[in-house]
Amino acid sequence: MTETVAHLTVDGAPADLAGMPDDERLLDTLRWRLGRKGTKEGCRTGDCGACTVLVDGRSTLACLTLTREVDGSDVTTIDGAARDAELSRVTRAFAEAGALQCGYCTPGFVVALAGLLKERGRAAPLEELLDGLQGNLCRCTGYAAIVRGVALAREEAP
Amino acid sequence: MEGPHAPRAVPGFELVAPASVEEAIAALRAADDGGATAIAGGTDLLLDLDDGRLAPRRVVSLRRLPWRTLDWLDGALTVGATLPLRSLEDDREVRRRLPGLWQAVHAVGSVALRHRATLGGNLGRSAPASDLIPMLLALDAEVDLVGPRGERRVPVDDFVRASRRTALLPGELIRSVRVPEPRPSAYLWQRVRPANDISQIAVAVAFSPGRRHWSIAVAGMPPRPALLPDVARDLGDGAPSDAALTAAAARASRAVPITGDQRASEEYRRRLVGTLLTRAVRAVPFEGGRPL
Ligand SMILES: Cc1cc2nc3c(=O)[nH]c(=O)nc-3n(C[C@H](O)[C@H](O)[C@H](O)COP(=O)(O)OP(=O)(O)OC[C@H]3O[C@@H](n4cnc5c(N)ncnc54)[C@H](O)[C@@H]3O)c2cc1C
Ligand code: FES
Ligand code: FES
Repeated sequence: MTETVAHLTVDGAPADLAGMPDDERLLDTLRWRLGRKGTKEGCRTGDCGACTVLVDGRSTLACLTLTREVDGSDVTTIDGAARDAELSRVTRAFAEAGALQCGYCTPGFVVALAGLLKERGRAAPLEELLDGLQGNLCRCTGYAAIVRGVALAREEAP
Repeated sequence: MEGPHAPRAVPGFELVAPASVEEAIAALRAADDGGATAIAGGTDLLLDLDDGRLAPRRVVSLRRLPWRTLDWLDGALTVGATLPLRSLEDDREVRRRLPGLWQAVHAVGSVALRHRATLGGNLGRSAPASDLIPMLLALDAEVDLVGPRGERRVPVDDFVRASRRTALLPGELIRSVRVPEPRPSAYLWQRVRPANDISQIAVAVAFSPGRRHWSIAVAGMPPRPALLPDVARDLGDGAPSDAALTAAAARASRAVPITGDQRASEEYRRRLVGTLLTRAVRAVPFEGGRPL
């Protein structure tokens, strides 16, 4: 049924997607097919943001995306944080702010914020960045430390 | 590859991505036996597939169709069916000339959701609590359809029937949505959580400067978002007086389509609708009886 092999670059490397079924979700491709488990599954219904990755630089819910629908794209996940300036910056800021407890939501927050900084620039108002993170849920921190992490990521020298 | 969601060897459906509108229509028609469904952003469809509500043999992707467009022509806005909502939200002219539409788009899900979700998909799903349908109703928007028997234009009010029910014929697709004129407008909602939650009730208001009349729509309960023409008439032909606004809010609270369900009681919704209407109308900028 699969006419062609889909092509995806994941964190800088071409992904081997030979034999992938048409209905596979990007989240499963990343975690199970490619073994990249930094991207988390929380709800699988679009509600929690734990599965957020960047598709051509734009934050995307991997649980609600068919891998074939993003054929030809450049996918960046938390596993590629070291090779992406915005992701590294946000990771450092979150670590410094202690913006996590169990850490399950953290990859989603870091990737979503990195995406916002790419879209809106580092000078974007804090309010706009926080508004843009409304789709990410955390069950542990009470958010105060995460808000500090966002403020740090914004202010930290480039 | 183990675990609850490890990839399966046999896919539940075949995915095709036609490069032309004609092929897309043919692909939808040709699967009459097992059923075919279009996919745009997939943010509604994939949930319907997961809970088994839909089980098509073929899913027809619209991603290669040239419909990710946004055009202003003679004051009218035309939005291509597959334009991601985030791009609609990022258009400065939309925010300036149709502020209510901007607010409604901004209210949908989260940023990551809006990077994939589309206007065509929102209309295709036709949810009673859609944030976009009430605003499109208040803006007198029309839907441009293309199908096996050609093209047609349908007012949103006729297109939307009930939850998951629209005027789409077999093989027909939404190509674009047309908003006829810029309108001072506002969209307000009440939810438990601001993001990724469904409105208990939402109110869309818009004023047509040309025809000097208001349009009011409510959403949040079955069977579908609805226009409230009598309430709109109470507001008169410009900036309403306090008395007119109070009368309109009272009438809106008594309006027929308001019902209770698990998300909010009827009583709570009746109170809310008047409050949101009052705030929304006041949010529409007027000066000396003329819209700004
Ligand atoms: C977590 C979450 C939060 C959400 N929050 C909101 C919210 O706040 N407000 C809101 O209004 N909605 C919300 N939604 C619903 C959904 O995201 C929107 O309705 C979105 O606009 C759907 O667009 P899509 O492109 O993803 O649709 P899809 O899932 O691709 O399609 C939906 C339906 O429309 C059909 N369709 C799609 N495009 C076309 C076309 N061009 N022609 C004909 N038929 C077509 C499909 O066959 C399908 O039946 C939410 C969904 C999730 C998962
Ligand atoms: S796992 Fe994708 S949003 Fe929760
Ligand atoms: S740190 Fe545990 S969910 Fe956020």
